[in-house]
Amino acid sequence: MRRVTLPPRPDWVEQVERLGFAFHTIDGETYWDESAAIAFTLEEIERDIEAPTEAIEQLCFAFIEKALDHEEILTKLAIPAEHWDYIRSSWQRGERNLYGRLDLAYDGRGPAKLLEYNADTPTALFESSVVQWDWLEQAMARGAIPRGSDQFNSLHERLIAAFQGLREPSPYRLHLTCVQGSPEDKGTVDYLADCAVQAGLDARFTYIEELGLLTDGRFCDGANQPIETLFKLYPWEWMFRESYGKALAGSGCQFIEPPWKAILSNKGLLACLWEMEPGHPNLLPAFFEGDPRCATLSPRHVRKPLYSREGANITLLERGRVLDSDDGPYGAEGHVLQDAATNLFSADGNYAVLGSWLVASQACGLCVREDASPITKNTSRFLPHYIEP
Amino acid sequence: MKRSSQIGLAAAGVLLVATVWSMTSEDPQENLVYNSLSDCRAAGQLTAQQCETAFSEATAARLKDAPKFQSQTACEAQYGANGCSSASIGGAQYFIPALAGFMLARGLSGGQAQPLMPPTAATCPPGSTQPECQQARSSSSSSSGGYYGGSSSSRSRAYSTTSGRSITAAFSPGARGGSTAATSTASRGGFGSIARSFSSHSSS
Repeated sequence: MRRVTLPPRPDWVEQVERLGFAFHTIDGETYWDESAAIAFTLEEIERDIEAPTEAIEQLCFAFIEKALDHEEILTKLAIPAEHWDYIRSSWQRGERNLYGRLDLAYDGRGPAKLLEYNADTPTALFESSVVQWDWLEQAMARGAIPRGSDQFNSLHERLIAAFQGLREPSPYRLHLTCVQGSPEDKGTVDYLADCAVQAGLDARFTYIEELGLLTDGRFCDGANQPIETLFKLYPWEWMFRESYGKALAGSGCQFIEPPWKAILSNKGLLACLWEMEPGHPNLLPAFFEGDPRCATLSPRHVRKPLYSREGANITLLERGRVLDSDDGPYGAEGHVLQDAATNLFSADGNYAVLGSWLVASQACGLCVREDASPITKNTSRFLPHYIEP
Repeated sequence: MKRSSQIGLAAAGVLLVATVWSMTSEDPQENLVYNSLSDCRAAGQLTAQQCETAFSEATAARLKDAPKFQSQTACEAQYGANGCSSASIGGAQYFIPALAGFMLARGLSGGQAQPLMPPTAATCPPGSTQPECQQARSSSSSSSGGYYGGSSSSRSRAYSTTSGRSITAAFSPGARGGSTAATSTASRGGFGSIARSFSSHSSS
């Protein structure tokens, strides 16, 4: 694993925009950053990223089984009790999941460590699946990287295949939704809609603010079309707590991601997995705040709200002193403390976190986010990667 | 290969196809390639009956799946001079790329033989020296003496498939059947080119 400095394509803006990639620059700052790339060996990808990702997914499934039988776990995860049955039945019905992203610390030496699991509403999907794929092809064609290079990235074909299998019978009508006013979210949903169309589905977009409720209990889109299947780039913990939360169980709607993902998209998961498998090579020690065992953590550890996205409200502490933090609106539901990873990849004054993608629970892609600080945020730069021949 | 072989985006109207620059040992499955039914029979790798079945499957698939053009000029602009033939499909007259060969992609498409068509300029790997590729690149190439028909004496030959992939088959000297396993199988659909217009759009 190494960081390779490369000259960006002279017309890189034009090249990424031709793919429909609109948010390559966020608030005037570079987001898509091809001035460098991360190079891996195939062994690093397969042994240290792909295999552990699938192993962690299996561990998560075992944890869901356990959590659904132990109400004290659901309570610790701050999941409202009125939705436990709804979550339980979605798991028992075997509702399928589409995608997720594990964030890993990995520097090419020793096992990757799980930082968190974005199980419910991951973004950075389009740039992972399409933009860095196209970058790879062009980088090989212009000789910037060796011909015969590869990339850990079969996201596109896996997403199409997964959409076909999410519901029987297929093709089915699929609504997709996200909040208004977020180009990144809209870009992610537009891309997934594109994949759904290629899977043969009747895909329709509606903003989540436009959703309505029909008299028979079903949700409908802005044109009053009943919703049977809904991809929502909108977190479960918010849906549970909003006014339509009460209508979820009676809506007959199949959600993607399914309700059981609420158990995983919660940083309490990190403490729960460590409890299940203490010493697991891909896990960092973690405990709920207030647990006396927090005293056994390393002096350098991280405090994370149970619900938090894109680095918000995460604090890196060294012997109680704040080294780095990111402000944000999260934290009311509690926190976990986790040992700071000692194997964050660091080169040229930057820190990189790996995002290991799962589609239908299969590891199939990678993205790298880089920042000058050790906390990855929503503005951290996206670097393409390649596998050396 | 750890990445998708192609990416289509309806909204942007692009189809991206992966380039496989060099064949490694990861695809040990041999694909048999023949330029004609008689080559297939003469190669002796399949029975005469298997050759005929493969040939008729490829012929039917070509009529069904090959790109259709209203004029010979439009077709030849992509598939090179003499690269097209007329065909009557559903009562209408079209020009479609000619059958340059056929391939038994065993294990890839359920044993069905695939039609091979002349390479397009876009599907020839950069720097490829096959005469078919040079012909496809140069729209002014004329009196090449016909691109099908006579069996090529070169040791490798380039084709395109109905899905826009490029195939390069190696023929050992004197052999009448080729194999794609021993040499580069290049896939290339043209960077940035609008290779396919998607008819169905989502409502978004």
